[in-house]
Amino acid sequence: MKRFSMAFLAVFVFFAMSSAAGAAEAVKIGLQAPITGQWAYEGQMARQSVEVALQMIAEEGGILGGKEIELVVADDASNPKDSALAAQRLVSQKVAAVIGTYGSSVNEPAADIYEQNKMVDIAYGSTAVKLTMAKERKYFFRTCGRDDAQGQFFAQYAVEVMGAKRIAIMHDNTTFAKGVAEEAKNALKPYIEVGKAELVYYDAIAPGEKDFSPSITKLREAKPDVWYFTGYYPEAGLLVRQGRDAGVTCPFVGGNAAINSDFVKIAGLEYAKGSLLTQEPMPSDLDTPKSKRFLELYRSKHGDIPSSPWPVYAADAAFALAWAIDKAGPADSDAIASVLRNQMEGCTGVTGAIAFTERGDRKGVPYKMYVVDGEGNIVLYKP
Amino acid sequence: MGVFLEQLVNGLTIGSFYALVALGYSMVYGVMKLINFAHGDLFALGSYVGYAILVYGSCIITRTFGVWAGMAIAMACAFLLVGAAGLAMERIAYRPVTAAGRLPLVVSALGVSIFLENAIMAIWGPRYQAYPATVVPSVSWNIAGLRITAMQSFILLFSLFLMAMLYYIVQKTRFGAAIRATALDREMATMLGVDVDAVIRFIFFLGPALGGMAGIMNGMYYRQISFAMGWNYGLKAFTATILGGIGNIPAAMVGGLLLGILEMLGAAYISSAWKDVFTFLVLILVLIVRPTGLVGERIAEKV
Repeated sequence: MKRFSMAFLAVFVFFAMSSAAGAAEAVKIGLQAPITGQWAYEGQMARQSVEVALQMIAEEGGILGGKEIELVVADDASNPKDSALAAQRLVSQKVAAVIGTYGSSVNEPAADIYEQNKMVDIAYGSTAVKLTMAKERKYFFRTCGRDDAQGQFFAQYAVEVMGAKRIAIMHDNTTFAKGVAEEAKNALKPYIEVGKAELVYYDAIAPGEKDFSPSITKLREAKPDVWYFTGYYPEAGLLVRQGRDAGVTCPFVGGNAAINSDFVKIAGLEYAKGSLLTQEPMPSDLDTPKSKRFLELYRSKHGDIPSSPWPVYAADAAFALAWAIDKAGPADSDAIASVLRNQMEGCTGVTGAIAFTERGDRKGVPYKMYVVDGEGNIVLYKP
Repeated sequence: MGVFLEQLVNGLTIGSFYALVALGYSMVYGVMKLINFAHGDLFALGSYVGYAILVYGSCIITRTFGVWAGMAIAMACAFLLVGAAGLAMERIAYRPVTAAGRLPLVVSALGVSIFLENAIMAIWGPRYQAYPATVVPSVSWNIAGLRITAMQSFILLFSLFLMAMLYYIVQKTRFGAAIRATALDREMATMLGVDVDAVIRFIFFLGPALGGMAGIMNGMYYRQISFAMGWNYGLKAFTATILGGIGNIPAAMVGGLLLGILEMLGAAYISSAWKDVFTFLVLILVLIVRPTGLVGERIAEKV
């Protein structure tokens, strides 16, 4: 009996040693994503994207002179409670850094846990402004844009590309929509000062309402060249129809919550077509050598490319982490965070160059303008 | 001036919806002294019944009979079905608890409201649905720069017609006299041989049926419907009932139309965000000056 257990112990020790030796070969990074729950689809695509990114990194020779990256996945089930548990699990697994997660509200408890345990995490789908602006987080970054960045993009696009002078901005008083609208307004200021633009309408409608005719009449009387609505699709669909019926003829631009297939259904195709929207680029519209290679690999593995903009940002987070760990080593979170803030020159991901601001936001997220075409599909806008 | 008239037309349109829903509230209150909280959800049910009929077989009814006849068929169906739902509601949720007093009745009404809202969600799903463009007339006229759609004028005229019919029934017919007698004094009416149960059945059919008509017209006008739409309209119609004066038919009409106009003008000349504040401020002022509402009769003291 004693001999047996000794032998057992020996075998066990041997295995423990060998797995420890293996661990020295690979660097572990964590992925926290909604593998189950309401956004399971997003979480699974994110995992697949990260796996493809890691394969590309391995093809290029790995990091730290030939080491592979090993992925540890934790499921947060699309809700804040499981998110905290997932974060604890990854911390106890002693991964070098974490990618994750998708939803903003789900991300908050996790970000706090990573912060306490001094672990870098890079979010890939959490766009809420408050994550970086409400309190200072040393170890939190994100590769996706911030909600309000599309407002800046709109202002620039409306004035410089569309040549609009009289601009109307409408929101619905929700945190998200108001944030985008405020940011668009701020970004217009320099143009207004030099007389290139004029903010002729800035007001809110009440979400959940059905009759927006008073607001629309006011808007029409302001004679705008472009009309930007930052709220959600149920109102957007009604607005565009009531607006066209009341004689508002200028282009309608929606934020990325305003226009989708339901918008087309509510407005009716004859009203919806030609509506523009500001949105993160869809994977199919990325055309750098790196993104081409990524999409090719992804398609060969999973039959199709990711169907939403977000999983690609998870791949970008993997590229950013590989770059930072390669420079700073896997053990020192402060050093990794410092590289992410200051030494990202030359790091590219699927969506282009990756760099972060002091607060951890992505620098210069590329938004694009999309349009509803004659069939009701949402395609890249080519003016 | 053009803008003002435009807002007035919009206000009258939305006021027609409020008025039709308010009529159901007012009738039920007049006879039963019950505020039927489920009334707004019957309005939503009307929208969905109309939607189901009009999109049936990818708009087969509209393509066979034309837009106006298709609308008439859908509206007749909504009228009968929502009326039947009203009858069932009275039989299942109200009649058994009538004896228990007024408070259990109100709780029961809230229960029916929750049940209906979730039933609509279970049947048609939580997503917004939209009436297809082909099932509603797209005609509009331009009268001296003022744009009026066929749908708007139809809603206004048809609502006025329904209200006039109802007024005629209640004021000029024998059965109407029975309804009024029941509203005044139920016990006395029973002693004089009025079939009180028949009166109650009648108002629980007609009130919801009118609400259902408002619902289907609302769906056709805005073309976007959701399972939770009833509550908001129910609340507004209730407000309209109080504004006009509860328990009488012309008062509900006046209250509904006035509320619609107030809302639109408040939104146009003050601010969209403040329009409800403005509307309810007017309501409070009216109630301070005239506690029985604008057209409400003085309630006789029962000695």
